[in-house]
Amino acid sequence: MANSQAIATSFKSEILDGLHALGTSVVRAGTGADTFKAALYLATASIGAGTTAYSVTNEVSGTNYTAGGATFTWTAPTTSGTTAYTTPSANITWTTVTLSTAFDCVLLYNSTQSNRAVAAYTFGSQTVTAGNFTLTMPTNDSSTGLLRIA
Amino acid sequence: MDEPLIYTSKGNLPISSLRYETVWHDTKDIMKFVERYLLGDEVVRESAHVYVKHGFTSLMAEQGTFNHG
Repeated sequence: MANSQAIATSFKSEILDGLHALGTSVVRAGTGADTFKAALYLATASIGAGTTAYSVTNEVSGTNYTAGGATFTWTAPTTSGTTAYTTPSANITWTTVTLSTAFDCVLLYNSTQSNRAVAAYTFGSQTVTAGNFTLTMPTNDSSTGLLRIA
Repeated sequence: MDEPLIYTSKGNLPISSLRYETVWHDTKDIMKFVERYLLGDEVVRESAHVYVKHGFTSLMAEQGTFNHG
């Protein structure tokens, strides 16, 4: 047996659980999971790695769509090999909506922590008319999970 | 027998009066299925279903090393 350098796999998962505060810590009201939301953005928006928080600017609007988007929950973060991962626990669906202006992006953000951004995903330009829009989640594992730290 | 109706932007319409079309988009990141009902040339119902194949925002934690100088 020999020593080897590595970032602890458990640390990666614990980052997702908010156990470590390497900088200034956030004072939390409880130990439960934060509330996360998914908001849709117009194809003309500029959501991406530089997005720091949810904004209503360039968010879609239309019949039966509520500004701020839909609430979802993450599966409990876990690890496999040296990768920590998690994925929303269910598909995210907007039902009987009309979104007439083309949109192509969903922003996942932390509603509890001042709407801070988590990740953005694009799916090609789309409109919806009196119909449903569904985001079906990938398999929650170390190679396809929606949010992974490898 | 009653004719089946479907909800559209013009209210409930007989499904037989509408033209139905589907479109598939398959990329390395997503698969999207779009279904449309048209009254003449007008789209009166359109739904889209996106399957996210994988999380493509993968965070890489890179480890530094001590200087052995």
